[in-house]
Amino acid sequence: MTDATPNSTIEEAREGLRQFPPALGQEFESALEQVQPVLEPDELAQWLREGLDIARHSLRSWEAASEYFRASSSVLEQITYERMRDWCAVGIELMETSPSLSGALFRASPQVLPHLSVSQANDWAGQGKSLYKGTWKSGSLSAQFFDVSPQILPHLPLSQMRLLVDLIDSLASHSYELASACLGMAPGVLSQLDRSDRAPFLEFGGIVAHTAWVDARVYFERGPGALRQVSEQQRPRYLSLSGQVAMQVGRLGHPYFIEAAQALSEVDKEIHEGLLELAEQLAEHSGDAAMEFIKSSPRVADRLGIDDIARWQEFGLNVLQQSRDGGEAFFRLESARGEEVMEALSSRVDLDRVSELIRMYCKALTGVDVGVKASEELTAKGVGWVDESSPTTEGTTIYLPENVERYPTKDENFAVYKVFATHQAGRLEFGSFDYQAAADPALFPASENGSSNGQAGQAASNGSALVSVEEGEGEIHTDMERFFDQFEDRRLAHDLFTIVEDTRIDTIVKREYAGVRRAFSRLQQAAIDRRRPIEDMPARQAMVENLLRASLDEVGRIRWPGELAEELRTPLRILNRIRQDGATVQDSAAATALLYDWLSQIPNMEMDSEDWSDFEQEMSGEPEAGDDSDMMPGSGSSGLEESFMPFMPGSEERPYDSPDPVDFRGDFKPELVQLLMKLKGETGSGDAPPIPLTKEQLQELLEKSVEISINELMDMDLAESSGMFLDNLLKEVNQIQGERQEGQQAMGDDSTGAEDGAELPVEAQSFYYDEWDFRAADYKPRWCRVQEQRGESGTTNYYTETLHEHTQLVQETRKQFEMLRPEMFRKMKRLTDGEDYDLDAVIEWYTEKIAGGASETKLFYRRNKVDRDVAVAFLLDVSASTDEEIQKHHDQRQDDQFDDDPRKYLSWWAQRRAEAARHPGKRIIDLEKEAVVLLIEALETIGDKYGVYGFSGYGRDNVEFFVYKDMDEPFGDRIKERIDKIAPVRSTRMGPAIRHCIWKLQNTDAKVKILILLSDGRPQDHGYGRDRTEKEYAIHDTKMALTEARREGMVPFALTVDRAGHDYLKQMCQDMAYEVVADIESLPRRLPALYRRLTG
Amino acid sequence: MTTATEPITEYRSWAVEEFRLEEEPYYVPVADEVEVFEAAWNNKIPVLLKGPTGCGKTRFVEYMAYHLNRPLAVVRDGKTEIEAESNLPLVTVACHEDLTASDLVGRYLLEGNETVWIDGPLTRAVKAGAICYLDEVVEARKDTTVLIHPLTDHRRILPVEKKSQLLQARDGFLLVISFNPGYQSALKDLKQSTRQRFVAVEFDYPPRETEAEIVQHESGCSADVALNLAKMAEKIRNLREHGLAEGASTRLLIYAGRMIAQGVSPRRACQVSIVWPLTDDGEVQRSIEEVVSSIFED
Repeated sequence: MTDATPNSTIEEAREGLRQFPPALGQEFESALEQVQPVLEPDELAQWLREGLDIARHSLRSWEAASEYFRASSSVLEQITYERMRDWCAVGIELMETSPSLSGALFRASPQVLPHLSVSQANDWAGQGKSLYKGTWKSGSLSAQFFDVSPQILPHLPLSQMRLLVDLIDSLASHSYELASACLGMAPGVLSQLDRSDRAPFLEFGGIVAHTAWVDARVYFERGPGALRQVSEQQRPRYLSLSGQVAMQVGRLGHPYFIEAAQALSEVDKEIHEGLLELAEQLAEHSGDAAMEFIKSSPRVADRLGIDDIARWQEFGLNVLQQSRDGGEAFFRLESARGEEVMEALSSRVDLDRVSELIRMYCKALTGVDVGVKASEELTAKGVGWVDESSPTTEGTTIYLPENVERYPTKDENFAVYKVFATHQAGRLEFGSFDYQAAADPALFPASENGSSNGQAGQAASNGSALVSVEEGEGEIHTDMERFFDQFEDRRLAHDLFTIVEDTRIDTIVKREYAGVRRAFSRLQQAAIDRRRPIEDMPARQAMVENLLRASLDEVGRIRWPGELAEELRTPLRILNRIRQDGATVQDSAAATALLYDWLSQIPNMEMDSEDWSDFEQEMSGEPEAGDDSDMMPGSGSSGLEESFMPFMPGSEERPYDSPDPVDFRGDFKPELVQLLMKLKGETGSGDAPPIPLTKEQLQELLEKSVEISINELMDMDLAESSGMFLDNLLKEVNQIQGERQEGQQAMGDDSTGAEDGAELPVEAQSFYYDEWDFRAADYKPRWCRVQEQRGESGTTNYYTETLHEHTQLVQETRKQFEMLRPEMFRKMKRLTDGEDYDLDAVIEWYTEKIAGGASETKLFYRRNKVDRDVAVAFLLDVSASTDEEIQKHHDQRQDDQFDDDPRKYLSWWAQRRAEAARHPGKRIIDLEKEAVVLLIEALETIGDKYGVYGFSGYGRDNVEFFVYKDMDEPFGDRIKERIDKIAPVRSTRMGPAIRHCIWKLQNTDAKVKILILLSDGRPQDHGYGRDRTEKEYAIHDTKMALTEARREGMVPFALTVDRAGHDYLKQMCQDMAYEVVADIESLPRRLPALYRRLTG
Repeated sequence: MTTATEPITEYRSWAVEEFRLEEEPYYVPVADEVEVFEAAWNNKIPVLLKGPTGCGKTRFVEYMAYHLNRPLAVVRDGKTEIEAESNLPLVTVACHEDLTASDLVGRYLLEGNETVWIDGPLTRAVKAGAICYLDEVVEARKDTTVLIHPLTDHRRILPVEKKSQLLQARDGFLLVISFNPGYQSALKDLKQSTRQRFVAVEFDYPPRETEAEIVQHESGCSADVALNLAKMAEKIRNLREHGLAEGASTRLLIYAGRMIAQGVSPRRACQVSIVWPLTDDGEVQRSIEEVVSSIFED
């Protein structure tokens, strides 16, 4: 190694570097120190020369040189000098483009090298270079590329890096800030993704950058998170599907990606593959449909298995091929067909689909007006029921689970509902809640147990644990409650009563309704299969469990220590007796008392028996008459004492636990039901007023009852939660009483503090209607919510004044309408048979006959009775647009007369204002109101049934429907008051309002039904069409609603005061009658005239 | 007659007023309606039968006509002889909304160059001393009341306006009208002035056991099936006013019983002879079918 050459070269270099900022020199020195020992002298010289060349290349290239020096040593640690030269050649070449890029390349080199081979350097540099467009912004982006490369390359091979560069490049053409931000995020984003997902992620990103560049940042932020919701193996597939869709749908592509991924997270990962495959098929036809399909998948998968989803998709695909909009609506679940097909494929039965059916079924069985609702509704009331999925009843309504999906077919699942309903209806039909202390049981002779008091007394004498009842404590106690009061262990008594009573009900149901036996047995079987093993239970519990099994007709599933077989025989016999014909709830109570006596003697201890055996007994035979003696506890065997039982040595008595509930029997709360009925005043002497009950009394009662576990209700301290429970209970009771009063036409209830005669504001009642989507050629199911409410009340003055103002007109119309009054008979002449001869015809016939002419024998007349049986619904448009004042024609003319003379104008203006103050300008709504007043006057003279309604609203879930006069409401001051307050509100969604009117008319009995729609313009509303300006959708829906009216045999008639109305009315009404009232002010005159024509 | 046992191979015809029941119609009295009717007939008080369709009103009238006797006058060789007592002829008119007074009384008809008077069914009944049964009388036009009123009070007179005649009813004549308060609209109520000329017998569907007996007898089905049918009817009648205008009538039960006796499966028989005739409403149909399927196993 010679020192001179290098040293001189070094000196030379130092000399050369002196013209650059000192920073470069420092960089050089420190690099030299590390490099010198590694390189051969000639290499070193070369290294120096290259550094200098770089620095000298152009104005700011010294910075690149500085990076070159700094990177050198660590680069040399990784590759030979020879290779480094190749590497640096790439950087030096980049100098031609931009020295700062070159600098960035050198800077990144040490960290990049572990990931790239030297031969790839060119490619890498080329990618960076491609971002450079000659501007400083692009320059810094390109430099950023080199800067972040070290962080990206560990995650992404260079070959795939191209995808990222393209994406960034594409973004850069819109916004450098965005491009740079995304590039900055790229390492983080990529590190979150699985290796195999990265390229597809970037590919889709590229498409997003193309189609919706503004979403790119969000994509980088949320994309990986969204993607994680998709099943691991399916992510690339999902991305490529998203890409395919995005190409079709443009800007929506990205939101779809996010939303559909979210949807996928809600379905089982197992079926992602299947779903994506189906979506891919759809994507070939419509990207929207494909993504909507995935978005709907949680709801669909909730009801269908993947095979059925495929069938559903196939059906939708067919729809899609016929109509794009139709198919998309189908997959959006916004079409009636979509739901129908799903319903047909699904084996699940939903309560809302069958509740009416079941209600009528139960009504038929019980003969009382029972309601059918979801159990959730009862638990939500917080009055003691807590299980949301069991069937139950509180005496007036049968509560059932929201849906049933136990078996693979719909019929089987419906059968489950039927069993539930039949059992609950059975409780009502066969009197489970009718227990009366005073009534005697039919099957259990009085000598055995007597009345309830005797029972207690007798039981006490037997040394059992019954407590005596205090008499005459107060009439708030229900008989059921008193019954349970007799037992020390209420829970045990309640469980026994439940078993006995359910046995009785099931037995009667199966006897009376042979057709449901099969379904019943199936559920019984299923219930018994789910029972917990008896062997682990302590003795008393095991006995109860055995009774329950026996009650499910599964004597064979009873497990009991063989040596104690005798002890079980009697309880089983007691239970069996309840199956006899004629058993009543009184018998159940008597049996409960007997069983209680037996069971309370059995200590609840764990048993230690080797001889658990199935209990075989000929249970089929009815107990022999007079065979009652051994039903008494202790009479069969000398004693059920511990010594006798095979108890676990040294075990202690355990607290008693209730047996698991039997699902198809559901909750049974006789005590609570009797209490509710009593509070509602329904027990006993029918019309007895509800018994007032203090909170304290109630509370005492509730704390006693085992049917309510307050702790389960709420997580509060006892006093507070029971207080809330009481409130709920009282609210429930009051509500029912309120309903009843409403039913009796509210006889001026003082307690509400309302003024006499004034109507109370009534909460809106909701109705749901489908809406017609003409693009999909299908209904959107339950799309609109119509909120029906009574119109506000004002004063009657308006009505009177209007009549006064139009005295003349009123009289005219009245007269015209009187003529319309039905003549009872209309004569029909020239009939072959009839009431009597038509004299004219006879004379004519006779003359002809004499003259030898042909003889016409139609000589009779008949008077046909014409019944006027008309019902009409007037539907007023009270949208905001009716607030417009009517422009009088002459006003405009006057305006023109004062071009120059200000004084003239001023005086005219003053005059006009004075006039306006006296007669404020009429609005469209005012004329509508006047027309209504006149019409009502006219209608009252002919006695047609009529209703006056108004509609408005905003959006599909808030269609307001005002009732000014309902069909069956008699006309009076209240109606007049409401008409006063007819006022413009909001938008015009006609379809649902018409449908609601149709419903009103359907419920009216009349031969001729007319629906008159009075509007001031085209239908429009938020979301009534693709956007607010679209007219087609709304018109089609309205047209369909009118057509529905016609299908129902009604006569729809549209009347508008919009002079431009012809164009859309023609389309809306097509072959139906409509009229445009050109001169708005003639409306009050026109409407009655028109009505006359329609019905005359 | 529904109870006729021998095959009817040729049609038979009667003059309206000569129609008599030859065999005893099957009727199971539910209460004292037979005695009431007999007493009314003896005292010439017209009878109003109220009750839902198919509960046996018409059968009851037939039964009464068969059992009420009157002396039969036969004119033979110019001499009037009183022959053996005979049951009453029964003239039944199903009223409809175009039924007018002249449909009941009679009219002139053209025959060749002449007009010929033809008695209407009411006139014939009055002349023959028959029971005239106006079924669903509220359906008829109001002018028929003009005829009913003088016939139903002590006068027992039928004015034949076109012939300027008054006809006094012969003994035995009794006007019986039926009326179904359930389904008529408020407009078609009987006027008080009309109602208050009758004694009224109210009918309802018979109690379960009686109905089962009737169904069994009329249809020839087994006692078990009949009882189940009666039970089912009871349940279905609970739906009256709740989707159903009328409950299942005994008549329909009998049809169902006959179908079952012919070997149609009970569920199917009930469907065709009860569910479908009762209503067109799909939901109501299904709920009734559920009741049916709860009661019958197949």
